[in-house]
Amino acid sequence: MSLNAVYVLTGFVILAFAALTFKDRSNRHRLGTTLFWLLLGVIFVFGSAMPHWLTGLLVLSMVVLDGAGQVGRKSSNETTQSGQVPSKALTIGNKIFLVVLAIPLVTFAFAIAFRLFGLNSNDGAIVGLGYSAAGALLVGLILTKGSLTEAFQEGRRLNDAMGAVNILPPLLASLGIIFTASKISDLIATGIHKVIPGENLFLLIVANCLGMALFTMVMGNSFAAFPVITAGVLVPLIVRPFGVDPAMAAIITLTAGSTGTLMTPMAANFNIVPTALLDMRDQYGVIKFQAPFALTIWTCHIIVMWLLIRMF
Amino acid sequence: MIFLSAQPALDSRVHIPEIFKLAGIAIVIIGLALRLRPTIVVVTAAILTGLISNLPLFSNESVFTSIPFLTKPGQEGIINMLGRAFADNRLMILFIATLPAIGLAERYGLQEQAARFIRKLKAATVGRLLIIYQLFRVLMGILGIRLSGHPAFVRPLVFPMSLGAAEALAHTRTVESLPSAEVERIKAANSAAENYGNFYGQNLSPVLPGILLVYGVMKGLGYSLGLWTIVLYAIPIASLSVILGALQFWLLDLRERRRLAVKR
Repeated sequence: MSLNAVYVLTGFVILAFAALTFKDRSNRHRLGTTLFWLLLGVIFVFGSAMPHWLTGLLVLSMVVLDGAGQVGRKSSNETTQSGQVPSKALTIGNKIFLVVLAIPLVTFAFAIAFRLFGLNSNDGAIVGLGYSAAGALLVGLILTKGSLTEAFQEGRRLNDAMGAVNILPPLLASLGIIFTASKISDLIATGIHKVIPGENLFLLIVANCLGMALFTMVMGNSFAAFPVITAGVLVPLIVRPFGVDPAMAAIITLTAGSTGTLMTPMAANFNIVPTALLDMRDQYGVIKFQAPFALTIWTCHIIVMWLLIRMF
Repeated sequence: MIFLSAQPALDSRVHIPEIFKLAGIAIVIIGLALRLRPTIVVVTAAILTGLISNLPLFSNESVFTSIPFLTKPGQEGIINMLGRAFADNRLMILFIATLPAIGLAERYGLQEQAARFIRKLKAATVGRLLIIYQLFRVLMGILGIRLSGHPAFVRPLVFPMSLGAAEALAHTRTVESLPSAEVERIKAANSAAENYGNFYGQNLSPVLPGILLVYGVMKGLGYSLGLWTIVLYAIPIASLSVILGALQFWLLDLRERRRLAVKR
């Protein structure tokens, strides 16, 4: 029931994807892709026991494989429609939702169980997420009478659709940690302090939300901006000196980034691809429609953060 | 000799102006702007930033003990940090384990059924339809369900339904007879409803990557937060996003009523 058991379990799922990739002769980057998922599987299974330098080198190898274009991706739209089994879909009907609903339900149940037993309910949610995967798969196999191979082939299809970008969140977390160790955060913090007096909490909140939105617009990705702004502005200038609730400040900073995502062509998946899908004349039509909403809700972020700090 | 001892810069360490440490951020910005693979951009930025800041590549331990250049006594190496951070943050990508179950559900008609559910929604106007769709996306977020909304829902379902509502308003049966500026606006509003619901709804579930990213990054900075506490604090902004979205779609309805109904 431990966190490590869940990592090992996930590792085996990833290793199964690697094996299926290896058997798939139609993949142009068969070996590179196999090796990529094999390495990730190994990191999941042994990550808690391996020395960090070895994990680091394995991560580096994965990134080099991806950088060299050796990790294949299937185009994400060849999904469901063609691969569906329509006759069966009709007989299963709405019960198919039970399969996906099993994921949050099991996760929730574990969190509550952990709390009842006086354990950390965070770990409960994370451990639950791991076991919910097995639970949902079981529900799915019983309901659809499909095979395990089928499930893993479909899982691999979804995994391939995302490709190497899957590993971006932990890489971004590493970037945040190395930025902190390099004292980049202090550098940014000092820079902001030159402009804004340290005791003016309101202006610091404005700078934090503005920095997050602008940085997200430039990078096209709020997840990439988050570790930099959190380590450089939020924690050293707002959370630490003013004793602000870190959970509140962090999530509001993240969504201040989403505001930026609504206004940037760099977030092509959300703002540019849809204009192509809907055959729009103006490539920036979606962004223009979203801009008034984004600016209003950005202002709300500052007000909400300020009020939550003042009220509690 | 006197000169040398007065210049600490020459004591074997190269001093690089602080500002060059920001090179990492520049690399991320330029790399992503050039559409290079984000994985390699991020890792290059991390390693370069560490090197410029005089961090060693490896910690001074095990096989690397006292190797010059690669290690420095008492400092954690860049590669070690990379490995430690990645291993600690495996939880951010635990969702991979759920892919076989989701894939199986999709094969047996998950998206089909969701589409049928949406089609049942009765909404007389474009604005009301989009308000309901945004709520549907927030609900999916609460349930921790990830959808690729633009290709799977907006294009095949919500957009044709929006057009249907607009045609009914203008008492016409063809898209061609609608003013093209209004059709363009309806297209933009459709995409926006998907984005609003997706962006702010996904922070209402602890199993989706947004909350796990906040959890992991803050843990790296020394704050151990509760996943449910983070979700709790996502509620005010998520609620505001629903209200503001509804307001914008209601205004769209008012506008369409003027532009389309008057046309007759």
